[in-house]
Amino acid sequence: MKNSFSLSPIFLVAIIFSLPAIFIFLSLAQDFSSNWMHLVDTVLPEYLLNSLKLFIGVSIGVFILGVSTAWIISTCEFRGKKFFSWALILPFAIPPYIMSYAFTGLFDSYGSANDLARFIFQLDPETVLFPSVRNITGAIIIFSFTLYPYVFLISQTSFLNQSRDIFDVSRTLGLSRFKTFFKVALPIARPSIVAALMLVGMEVLSDFGAVEHFAIPTFTSGIFRTWFGLNDLTTAKQLASILFMIFLFLILIEKYSRRKILYTSNSTSNRELVPTPLKGYKEFFAIIVCSLPIFIGFFIPFVQLLYWTIFHESTFFSSDFISLITNSLSLAAISSIICLSIATIINYIIRIEKNNFLSFINKIITSGYGIPGIVLALGVLNLFLMLDNLSNIILTGSLIGLIFAYCVKFYAVTNSSISSGFKKISINLDNVASSLGSPNRRILKSIHLPLLKSSFLIGTLVFMIEVIKELPATLILRPFNFNTLSVSAYNFASDERMIEAAAPSIGIVIACLIPIIILIKLIGKDEIE
Amino acid sequence: MSIISVVKKLLVLFFILLLPYQDSLSQEEVNIYTSRHYDSDIKIYEEFENRTGIKVNYITGKGNALFERIKSEGKNCPADIFITVDAGNLWKVEKEGYFQKIKSDKIAKLLDKRFIGPDAKWIGIAKRFRVIVYNSDKFDKNKMQNISYEDLASNDFKNKIAIRSSSNIYNQSLIASLIYHNGESKTKKWLKGFVSNFSRKPQGNDRAQVMAVAYGEADLAIVNHYYLGIMLSGKSGEKQKSAAEKILVAFPNTNNRGVHVNISGAGILKNSKNYNNAVKYIEFLLEEDIQKHIISNTYEYPIIDTVEPSPVIKRLGSNYKEDKLKVKELGINNPKAVRLMDRAGWK
Repeated sequence: MKNSFSLSPIFLVAIIFSLPAIFIFLSLAQDFSSNWMHLVDTVLPEYLLNSLKLFIGVSIGVFILGVSTAWIISTCEFRGKKFFSWALILPFAIPPYIMSYAFTGLFDSYGSANDLARFIFQLDPETVLFPSVRNITGAIIIFSFTLYPYVFLISQTSFLNQSRDIFDVSRTLGLSRFKTFFKVALPIARPSIVAALMLVGMEVLSDFGAVEHFAIPTFTSGIFRTWFGLNDLTTAKQLASILFMIFLFLILIEKYSRRKILYTSNSTSNRELVPTPLKGYKEFFAIIVCSLPIFIGFFIPFVQLLYWTIFHESTFFSSDFISLITNSLSLAAISSIICLSIATIINYIIRIEKNNFLSFINKIITSGYGIPGIVLALGVLNLFLMLDNLSNIILTGSLIGLIFAYCVKFYAVTNSSISSGFKKISINLDNVASSLGSPNRRILKSIHLPLLKSSFLIGTLVFMIEVIKELPATLILRPFNFNTLSVSAYNFASDERMIEAAAPSIGIVIACLIPIIILIKLIGKDEIE
Repeated sequence: MSIISVVKKLLVLFFILLLPYQDSLSQEEVNIYTSRHYDSDIKIYEEFENRTGIKVNYITGKGNALFERIKSEGKNCPADIFITVDAGNLWKVEKEGYFQKIKSDKIAKLLDKRFIGPDAKWIGIAKRFRVIVYNSDKFDKNKMQNISYEDLASNDFKNKIAIRSSSNIYNQSLIASLIYHNGESKTKKWLKGFVSNFSRKPQGNDRAQVMAVAYGEADLAIVNHYYLGIMLSGKSGEKQKSAAEKILVAFPNTNNRGVHVNISGAGILKNSKNYNNAVKYIEFLLEEDIQKHIISNTYEYPIIDTVEPSPVIKRLGSNYKEDKLKVKELGINNPKAVRLMDRAGWK
């Protein structure tokens, strides 16, 4: 009886969180219209191919950027390391759609970069030096440089938590540093990295803003086109269901690929890695590798935005900024706390029940991340309308809908850091505590929660940043007269009024920096203790 | 301990946040969903509040997405008025039965019948034309004044045309008008030639097409006229201003049916709880000074004849004729247009 009681929260959350998706799935029961034939005949193959190219390209991109920097930061000592260890998170503050606007503003034939080059080399105005970025390669670059911090954060935590003993053994057995990385560190970190890659993949596949701006027809832009252009919501929902099933399929593969492998650490010694000091060209190389992502992913777009803001003499910071940043931050903080609590409880139950089916259900909940924001918003609206009719409280058009949507969409983000946090805590600790007579609740409170501190922080940080950046669902679910930074930026950017959109975009960056700075401060404190 | 106190504080903040949006029922108000998101619209709301004491609440968003919200909210939909930027969109809302009649003698007297939807369920509040911009070095000016959309499929324009993606409603409406005037099979053939004349993969918005012509990436582009107004006004910076000054404008089909006209418009929603206030607001949008305010900020053409277009827009030329087709046809033919554009390979 105790079991069924402790299991109920998981199923409850699973059901509630999947309701919006179920509303979308219901479309599969409806007739398949003649538009399907049209889509298959004309555009669908290209949508799929482009989505696949993006998915693979970005996965490789974020893997290289995220893992290499995380490895260098975790295992080496070099000048500027402390700076890089937090600055590498900065590109996270720039949403891909804003980045795409900044990049076209720079590299279009009439963009700032070309202007500057023409000015410096005294070329005639029709010379174009930089290649166009409005293509798949450009999109892969943009997504890779804005999304790699996921992989960086998660693999860094994973590398830092690998026991030094493992490395020592590997080195004594004669493996070089290089080989140790590929044969030992990477395989151990694999589940975390794969989870991060899944997040990135889902984000890329469900993105609309950046691919629309680059005019790359992808599966998700196809959903919108079918919905708004062909005026066929049912087919659009059916397409969304298919996308959703692709994510479920990916989750299954990931699950299957690491069956029977136990990834919780059993090491009792927690000796930390001692970073190797780098000298000479090696140090130079490390600095270059760590600077590049920050330069392209943060510095360039930030400077472009700053240039636009100053150029326009915007009144934004004196008028709307305070109220918008308050709205964005408080929404982000509230939803992250709710989501964090849910994720902790669920992961805790999974841990004590040691039930594979439960952790699979949990994975299913995370697939909400893959639903394009606007499709999710539609599901939430349908759900709330039903609730309105059942009760007398009108929830539609309140902030509750918005917070709910954020939780469904970004549960994956919180879950990935909490669950990897739990995995790091040796199961022996639980066993010892419970053999000494501690009840489960006490184990959670006195052992798990303190050890989970850094996972909480990362989970909260990433979640908050996601919420601050989130656009499509916010746009459609927000109450009257309620604006956020992303809505404000979008209003201009969607019209390519980038000069005016620059100020709120800088606002987004500032708002994202607040949680980042708090995080850095807290990490710093930890080190001192 | 500290975590709990943080949570408590945040919960308090949460409820403070919720408050203002729950208890605004006591006051006279009108609730608007609008896909127009100009700063200048906020001044209109404020002016309306000043003159009538009726509070304006609004949400901006994409037209189609807002309409889905209206549909999903059903009878609980708090909005009274829906404002959007394409006749095709207005027609969709009307066809699915979400608008009700706007009972107003004032509007009937003031507005040309073309811009009033069937059964007076929606009206236009401003006009926009889809015009051709071109590089004056590449084409003869006199010849361009007689150009039609139909001409653009000819071989003379090989690799010369820039236009944005076919996902864009302005292009869909333009093609819908061609389907209405010329029929589906003729338009299909025309599209094949037209698309093969593109100088580059469709990308960017209308403003980006103007820039492409100014910087020699294309010789000619199709754009909504008010983008030129915004660029010429200098509000978007010197670079865009000088680009817009470099190019010339042609109003197509002046010799026959006239340039493609679209509207931004408004309607009152079926479940409106403040019907009278909504009528007042829509009438207010047609007041001369408000029309002047709208067009001098958005550079659209005024919907009423007594107001002159903005001086910036007058510079584009006055030698044009307006396509008199009923704008609802743009909505009816929209899905056909999208399918034809897909087949023609217009990205």
